Amino acid sequence: MAAIEMVNLTKHYKQGKNVIKALDGVNLKIESGEFVAVVGRSGSGKTTLLDLLGLLLRPTAGTVVIDGVDTSKLKDGDRATMRGESIGFIFQEFNLLPTLNALENVMLPLRYAKKDPQGPARARRLLDEVDLGDRVTHKPTELSGGQSQRVAIARSLVNNPALVLGDEPTGEVDSETSDQLLDLMRRMNREHGVTFVIVTHDMDIAQRADRIIRLKDGKVASDEPIAARELALS
Amino acid sequence: MFEIIRNLTRRKLRNGLTVSGIVIGVLALTTLGAIAEKANYSIDGGVRYFRDHVSVGAAQNGGFGGGLLTVDKAKDIQAVDGVQAACAATGVSAKTDLDFSVSFGPGDQVTAEQPGCQQYSTFKLTYAKGHPIDETGTGQVVLGSDIAKEFKVTTGDTIALPRPPKKFNPDYVGHDFTVVGVLDKTLTAPDAFAIVSFSDGQTLFGDALPAALRGRVDPTTLATGINVYAKPGVDLDKLAQKINDTVPGVSAIAPSTLVNAFKSASVFLTAITTGAALLALIVGGLSVVNTMLMAVTERVREIGLKKAVGAHTYHVLREFLTEATILGVIGGLVGLGLGWGLALAINAYFASQNQNELFLVTSRLVTFALAFSIGLGMIAGVVPAIRASRLDPVTALRYQ
Repeated sequence: MAAIEMVNLTKHYKQGKNVIKALDGVNLKIESGEFVAVVGRSGSGKTTLLDLLGLLLRPTAGTVVIDGVDTSKLKDGDRATMRGESIGFIFQEFNLLPTLNALENVMLPLRYAKKDPQGPARARRLLDEVDLGDRVTHKPTELSGGQSQRVAIARSLVNNPALVLGDEPTGEVDSETSDQLLDLMRRMNREHGVTFVIVTHDMDIAQRADRIIRLKDGKVASDEPIAARELALS
Repeated sequence: MFEIIRNLTRRKLRNGLTVSGIVIGVLALTTLGAIAEKANYSIDGGVRYFRDHVSVGAAQNGGFGGGLLTVDKAKDIQAVDGVQAACAATGVSAKTDLDFSVSFGPGDQVTAEQPGCQQYSTFKLTYAKGHPIDETGTGQVVLGSDIAKEFKVTTGDTIALPRPPKKFNPDYVGHDFTVVGVLDKTLTAPDAFAIVSFSDGQTLFGDALPAALRGRVDPTTLATGINVYAKPGVDLDKLAQKINDTVPGVSAIAPSTLVNAFKSASVFLTAITTGAALLALIVGGLSVVNTMLMAVTERVREIGLKKAVGAHTYHVLREFLTEATILGVIGGLVGLGLGWGLALAINAYFASQNQNELFLVTSRLVTFALAFSIGLGMIAGVVPAIRASRLDPVTALRYQ
């Protein structure tokens, strides 16, 4: 069984009398442990897809099945619980809370999940894994962009999620830092066995994924594993 | 919790101003409430003091205090069915100068009642020092706690009653009394009483008569009032009516009339406290609402993030409500502290001026002020917290 399955996933918005088809009948399967890049032009439906996968939006039609759970049948509270327990988020603008230090930011999702006595120790270990073991008490204002995003990556993994969603996770940093962050995400993907789905404009970033899904006008325009693409190009 | 404290300290000026609003409200509530409490305790005491007997005075004076009665009337009243004891009493001012001190009662009084009558009263006096006067003797006085403090005398001291005037007054006649006891504080009329024997009371009353009357009447036949104690089970209001119907020249006041008058005063003072509470509610409440709404607007992305990482609606609601409540608690504690301090300082000042205390900070006032400020923060935080908790996470996360 696939870790994530999108079945006829559709999201329409009303704008006055017009209906915007942000996502229009998308069918996709993502296997457990895959590292997937979603690309496409602005307005192609990338972010909507990510919001639907992250259970932040409800689809107009269709459903997302995560680990066998049909999320369209979940109530708001259950969706919040599932977000906390099964999904991690990495945002373009880091979204760290300014009043919390690095460790407290990493531990934020633990606050809303089922009590886990191992949680704080895991948060510290994750900060060590992202090479910020010596920055645990630093506030976001005392961290660089790359360091902030590494804190956000650690935060996304603290509840041992099945899926991590990245919305332009390297969009706010320079290319060298971007490479480092991608190395880190790939390492986490490999070592923790977590499925990563990242949305990006940057084809260099996308090339380092296992698979690239290209969206156009709310539909899947192409869906290719990198290995197959490289084979086709050679 | 630490995050909430940090959020509050992040906007020191704004939150400081909000807390100041609550402080002002709770300060007003505490000080006005303490005045009302002092008054209400006096009134409660008055109710207790006056409801155990029927007060009888001379008919032409409306029956309460100051009029000329003859002691013989007590015997007439004693004959009325249902009367246990009719005790002639005197009451004259303890001061010859005008009294400008703050008082919720008739002021300092030298009072006296015929011997043996105290046993009928349900309002029992207890002694901080010394013992009761010899009711059949002369020259002894028991002082209420306030009057003893005011005149700075204690047991064994001698005191002239009424107090001598500051400027020479040829009509002044004073008598020396030995203080044999000081009463425990009652928070009502007896605190301002100097209790002497009935014969001494009559002498003082005779001296206090206008010069034209003095010498023309025998003070030993006079009283200013008669306290009537009923037999068990007798309705005092009905007894007062019976006295009015059967004994000519007197006016008996039903206890319920006096008690209702006290209760009316109590309602008025409670209205003052309620007004202060409303003021606190408006000033403090609106500032908390404003501050919390601004906090929600400032932290929209933070709310979006929290929802994204698993926060339920009730988590966000709880966090913002807690923050608003903490504002209320801080404002309440500071306001209560300042109000209490102010009350103590003013009471100390009044005491240094030999005047009665103005404020009484009671445990129920403290509890109410704290509960009020906590409730205020919580209630004022409800709307902003609901607004925060209902934010759509997608919109919140992309809020600029």
